[in-house]
Amino acid sequence: MRESRRPDSAWALPAPGCDTHNSHFRSPMSDSARPPQRPRGQEGSRGGRRGEQEPGPGPPGRGRGRGGGQVQPPTAVTAVAAASPRDPDGRKRKCLPGARARWVFLGAGRLPPAPAMDCYTANWNPLGDSAFYRKYELYSMDWDLKEELRDCLVAAAPYGGPIALLRNPGRKEKPASARPVLEIYSASGVPLASLLWKSGPMVSLGWSAEEELLCVQEDGVVLVYGLHGDFRRHFSMGNEVLQNQVLDARIFHTEFGSGVAILTGAHRFTLSANVGDLKLRRMPEVPGLQSAPSCWTTVCQDRVAHILLAVGPDLYLLDHAACSAVIPPGLAPGVSSFLQMAVSFTYRHLALFTDTGYIWMGTASLKEKLCEFNCNIRAPPKQMVWCSRPRSKERAVVVAWERRLMVVGDAPEGIQFVLDEDSYLVPELDGVRIFSRSTHEFLHEVPVASEEIFKIASMAPGALLLEAQKEYEKESQKADEYLREIQELGQLPQAVQQCIEAAGHEHWPDMQKSLLRAASFGKCFLDRFPPDSFVRMCQDLRVLNAIRDYHIGIPLTYSQYKQLTIQVLLDRLVLRRLYPLAIQICEYLRLPEVQGVSRILAHWACYKVQQKDVSDEDVARAINQKLGDTPGVSYSDIAARAYGCGRTELAIKLLEYEPRSGEQVPLLLKMKRSKLALSKAIESGDTDLVFTVLLHLKNELNRGDFFMTLRNQPMALSLYRQFCKHQELETLKDLYNQDDNHQELGSFHIRASYAAEERIEGRVAALQTAADAFYKAKNEFAAKATEDQMRLLRLQRRLEDELGGRFLDLSLHDTVTTLILSGQNKRAEQLARDFRIPDKRLWWLKLTALADLEDWEELEKFSKSKKSPIGYLPFVEICMKQHNKYEAKKYASRVGPEQKVKALLLVGDVAQAADVAIEHRNEAEMSLVLSHCTGATDGSTADKIQRARAQAQKK
Amino acid sequence: MAFPHRPDAPELPDFSMLKRLARDQLIYLLEQLPGKKDLFIEADLMSPLDRIANVSILKQHEVDKLYKVENKPAFSSSEQLCFLVRPRIKNMRYIANLVNADKMAGRTRKYKVIFSPQKFYACEMVLEEEGIYGDVSCDEWAFSLLPLDVDLLSMELPEFFRDYFLEGDQCWINTVAQALHLLSTLYGPFPNCYGIGRCAKMSHELWRKLEEEEDGETKGRRPEIGHVFLLDRDVDFVTALCSQVVYEGLVDDTFRVKCGSVDFGPEVTSSDKSLKVLLNAEDKVFNEIRNEHFSNVFGFLSQKARNLQAQYDRRRGMDIKQMKNFVSQELKGLKQEHRLLSLHIGACESIMKKKTKQDFQELIKTEHALLEGFSIRESTNYIEEHIDRQVSPIESLRLMCLLSITENGLIPKDYRSLKTQYLQSYGPEHLLTFSNLRRAGLLTEQAPGDTLTAVESKVSKLVTDKAAGKITDAFSSLAKRSNFRAISKKLNLIPRVDGEYDLKVPRDMAYVFSGAYVPLSCRIIEQVLERQSWQGLDEVVRLLNCSELAFTDMTKEDKASSESLRLILVVFLGGCTFSEISALRFLGREKGDTGSSPGLGRSHMPRSN
Repeated sequence: MRESRRPDSAWALPAPGCDTHNSHFRSPMSDSARPPQRPRGQEGSRGGRRGEQEPGPGPPGRGRGRGGGQVQPPTAVTAVAAASPRDPDGRKRKCLPGARARWVFLGAGRLPPAPAMDCYTANWNPLGDSAFYRKYELYSMDWDLKEELRDCLVAAAPYGGPIALLRNPGRKEKPASARPVLEIYSASGVPLASLLWKSGPMVSLGWSAEEELLCVQEDGVVLVYGLHGDFRRHFSMGNEVLQNQVLDARIFHTEFGSGVAILTGAHRFTLSANVGDLKLRRMPEVPGLQSAPSCWTTVCQDRVAHILLAVGPDLYLLDHAACSAVIPPGLAPGVSSFLQMAVSFTYRHLALFTDTGYIWMGTASLKEKLCEFNCNIRAPPKQMVWCSRPRSKERAVVVAWERRLMVVGDAPEGIQFVLDEDSYLVPELDGVRIFSRSTHEFLHEVPVASEEIFKIASMAPGALLLEAQKEYEKESQKADEYLREIQELGQLPQAVQQCIEAAGHEHWPDMQKSLLRAASFGKCFLDRFPPDSFVRMCQDLRVLNAIRDYHIGIPLTYSQYKQLTIQVLLDRLVLRRLYPLAIQICEYLRLPEVQGVSRILAHWACYKVQQKDVSDEDVARAINQKLGDTPGVSYSDIAARAYGCGRTELAIKLLEYEPRSGEQVPLLLKMKRSKLALSKAIESGDTDLVFTVLLHLKNELNRGDFFMTLRNQPMALSLYRQFCKHQELETLKDLYNQDDNHQELGSFHIRASYAAEERIEGRVAALQTAADAFYKAKNEFAAKATEDQMRLLRLQRRLEDELGGRFLDLSLHDTVTTLILSGQNKRAEQLARDFRIPDKRLWWLKLTALADLEDWEELEKFSKSKKSPIGYLPFVEICMKQHNKYEAKKYASRVGPEQKVKALLLVGDVAQAADVAIEHRNEAEMSLVLSHCTGATDGSTADKIQRARAQAQKK
Repeated sequence: MAFPHRPDAPELPDFSMLKRLARDQLIYLLEQLPGKKDLFIEADLMSPLDRIANVSILKQHEVDKLYKVENKPAFSSSEQLCFLVRPRIKNMRYIANLVNADKMAGRTRKYKVIFSPQKFYACEMVLEEEGIYGDVSCDEWAFSLLPLDVDLLSMELPEFFRDYFLEGDQCWINTVAQALHLLSTLYGPFPNCYGIGRCAKMSHELWRKLEEEEDGETKGRRPEIGHVFLLDRDVDFVTALCSQVVYEGLVDDTFRVKCGSVDFGPEVTSSDKSLKVLLNAEDKVFNEIRNEHFSNVFGFLSQKARNLQAQYDRRRGMDIKQMKNFVSQELKGLKQEHRLLSLHIGACESIMKKKTKQDFQELIKTEHALLEGFSIRESTNYIEEHIDRQVSPIESLRLMCLLSITENGLIPKDYRSLKTQYLQSYGPEHLLTFSNLRRAGLLTEQAPGDTLTAVESKVSKLVTDKAAGKITDAFSSLAKRSNFRAISKKLNLIPRVDGEYDLKVPRDMAYVFSGAYVPLSCRIIEQVLERQSWQGLDEVVRLLNCSELAFTDMTKEDKASSESLRLILVVFLGGCTFSEISALRFLGREKGDTGSSPGLGRSHMPRSN
């Protein structure tokens, strides 16, 4: 289970629905209302909402066991109010101040059955002057025990936990056929599990705080079983224990969890304070210890577990460093040996039973003595446990012998009970559970509130209120008297509080109801009595009654329940696979879904996947149907559980329901479904996730398979390529190689030629490889271009050697330009021929270079070398750019007719341009010239054009 | 100006919240490393950081010295080093070298790496491989959206385009989804969502998933943004390839707008230093001309100058009291305006100078010819000449790509010759450029026949989306058809010109390209929003090769209420141009909607490695 909270872990209990109830519980009457009216108000609230229902005897939605109460007939209050003609609908109504006088019961014929509290204190036994102890039956046990308890190894978990029995514990001489049987029962005796014990001989049994059964074997191996007898795990208590065998073992609970303490055959102690986080501690040797101690126990002080042991008349305290002798203060003389010792539930107190029948009680630190008692029984007791509660008035221990039970404390007389049967004591936080073959009882000190109310002749406010309510039900005016009495003392709030509190400590629903009814009755006469405590108690009791039910069998008291917290209780229900009940409780208490219902559903699903007889499909569907997309349910957790049970296919099916890919992928990887994980990751669009899978795959698969996987996943492939580009260039090359992607391979080598190689030879070599790749890719163009580049590189290198200057990495164009600029016309020509530079480019190139050199003579020669493939307009333009109008004009005359106007305009000869334009009869040209006509100088030209235009239009 | 703001235009949400959020987070991260520390900032992040937190804020949080992450060793003496970087492997190597050098020298310092906008697993891996994973602490600065202006958000991820559209690396999609998620948590859920393109679809899906996981947080909030439109850049390359002619676009082309601000050189400021100017709605002069066609700008500026002069002139004839009033109240504003005016006039001049030099008119003419699809031969020759003359490597490439896309690839002869010419002009290394362009589908060869596409569409009809994606991927490398011509006809992208197109009072979005072309991206957005779905656009979508990737996601019950929500968020995945922003602003004004458009890392031409 995911949750393994200790009972003492502080879970904040939510206060469900308090606010909603608030308004409802506000006094239904106005301030002036008087007693007679009150009951109806109460009735109104009773019949009202669900949240304040009285704690019903049965669990919500479950059948009632025989341990529980019975369905209540409509109580008198209901009957009365319903019969009241004045308020048939039970709504609140304002009452006149003098209404008391008119308080008449119309349904007077129906008297309420008196609660059975006349002899309520019959089972109260006083211990000394101040405390009472009572013992009542929780269940009559359902188990059909063949053996006596004394023939079994018994372990019962605290907090109303389960009981484990090992029949016929390991006796080697027995034949294999009579193997011991390990049985687990609920506290009410309902069998939970039964299994044949096939492992080694067992020494001790015990329950951990998580309600796991720890079975300590003789060889020091501890086997851990679940509540249903499912084997969980095992661990060993170390070599030393294995060699010397376990003599005795104890399971104990600390705030860190559950521990195991072991006494070995060599009379040494080994303990682990937390079995969840196993750290073995071997305790120091006790000097001069020859035989097993007469008794020993674990004590927890300052958050460290110690061992207290008695050897003859001496007591020793073992901590992890040393062994020290201790002497209890005020110990009566004449003790020659200690027969039994008991530490209280909270490790605060210690009781020692000596061979003189004397009991010493004091603090566990052995610094203070509380009291002593002499019971004059020298027989060693079977069990001795503390029976006290938090803030107890009296500290008492319960000592059990074969047929006798004695409660002793700081009083001259103890309380004695006769035990009809073999019984077993289970210490609890606030009392002692005693179970035998036929019954299960609870013995505890009567809580303060109950004592106040029920003590004979008690005049406590709660007692009076209860009385008043009873009288009220009897329709007697005494009710009013009692109430007045309380109110005159101003103790009504305490009275209500007392009743509420006392109700919490009652086991029987009838009694709870009486007290709550009294509280509710009293509450009506109070303004602004905060309703939460009442509401909460109602809710708590409803929950408690439900789980105390015979079928459930968790007899928690109110204090235990509060200590345990609802969260842990829910965990325990889940552990018992009581999912519907747990969910009902959550819904009833309106716990937030994530803490409550979803968590339980998740647990249910985890249990469901373990049902091996159901097919994967059915399980997956069932789970999905129940869970839907309840918030807070993690399908991946459930899937992980399914995988843990070896149901990989089911796990994969469950993962389909998981909406978060981030949760799917890790589990898929764990299940070695890497390819599925990869596609899931890709689907998620989360590149980080893809990367995680990729790296996993890279390590898992061999390179070829890895590449093949990538090949089918383009997205992953490009991602990995990106990574390789920066981090693993060689891998990138392999990737391309594997794909026969010669194009990219070529590009790769070209890139390498720039990045990696400094020397010209290296670069050429890289380029050669690239060219080869391009050929393979059937990319002739790129191959040729690369070859050209190689040639160019070599050439540039030569040029640098011969001419100096910088040529490397210039483009072809720039190389030629540079040559011309440095006067190497021959070489330039040669280069142009070698690389087949097209004429047009060459002309542009030469033109620009020569103009840059301002070598007008050479330019003119060049222009006349043959007919210009780019026309002569560029010549004009370039000359004008260099502001050489004179040269420009030379070329302007040679410009072809289409561009003549432009050229003339460029050199600024507007007039001639106009003539040409007119001659061409070209409208566009004419407007162009016109737009160049500026100022007075061109006035005549402009006119000329306008005229020509007009003429053209006429035609 | 030309478009009076409609009075019922919805109010824009307060995007400055994003800035505050980012700043607070950064401060928190810096405080995580208490004490004095040196901050290493990646060059890329400097401008965005500047918009979020200035140096004094950094100093307040005990940042001692600032370094730039670059490829040389830094000599910092601080005991604590903090790196603010993009999640790139290169940066990890840099950090690793630094840490390892310290280790060799026996020096121990504290190192903290802050990844923005998120940490990638690959980065952690590199840190691990370099053996310094335990030495550095890592954090994320989830700063993904920078508000550049009241209506403009940017992710400032210039590598988005390259990583996704060229390399097929989808790592940024998550960032996009998270940015969307952030917006929806801050400004309420988005009732309607449309998108086109693979990346848009994936981002949308991922974002939806995020929303689902954090269910309930945005529920019940009143949505502020009514519609979201996600658009992949590769749906419309054409628009990005055209020369920009609105003022803001030209400023970008000429001076490079970086992170909402621009460095005006000495030639603009008419002084000897350059000036960094923030270009946004707060600059009143700029705000009025940013979306204008360039031909109007000069006229407007001179009018403005005259007005200004008139305002100054009012001084004459004022009495003392009025003068006092004038000086105390108006003068400052006028001075400010004066300064801005002179700046923008300077910028205009500078733009004019550059553009006339390059024969801008010819260039535009060629572009328009290509867009309309006539005189292809002449255009090709023009491009060749352009290359031969080494006018500008980028412009030449741009034209080539435009030719390729509008013509569904170059004919093999031209393809070869243009490439040869280009290599001769600008160097053989551009062989790689061509290979990249080809991969991105920007510059391709005409496929021999249409068989390939036919097969492709048939296959993708048969198989599932995922498989189809694979197949499309495979095919797209072979032949990425753009069908521009058909789309153009369908969507009426080339407006019919009867008479002169009045650029002063534009009729449609085509004004951003001198009336010659309506930006495809913006037209798609307009059409879809008009219909509130892709209905009736099936043919277009098919032609865009996105038939499986266009989606509409509408929460039905909100439909009625969303009618009143006219605020639209347009997300360009892979960047957008200022022309597109201007066009959308125009659209917004016309329809009374406000298109606020986060460009996700502005893309320019992809370049060689």
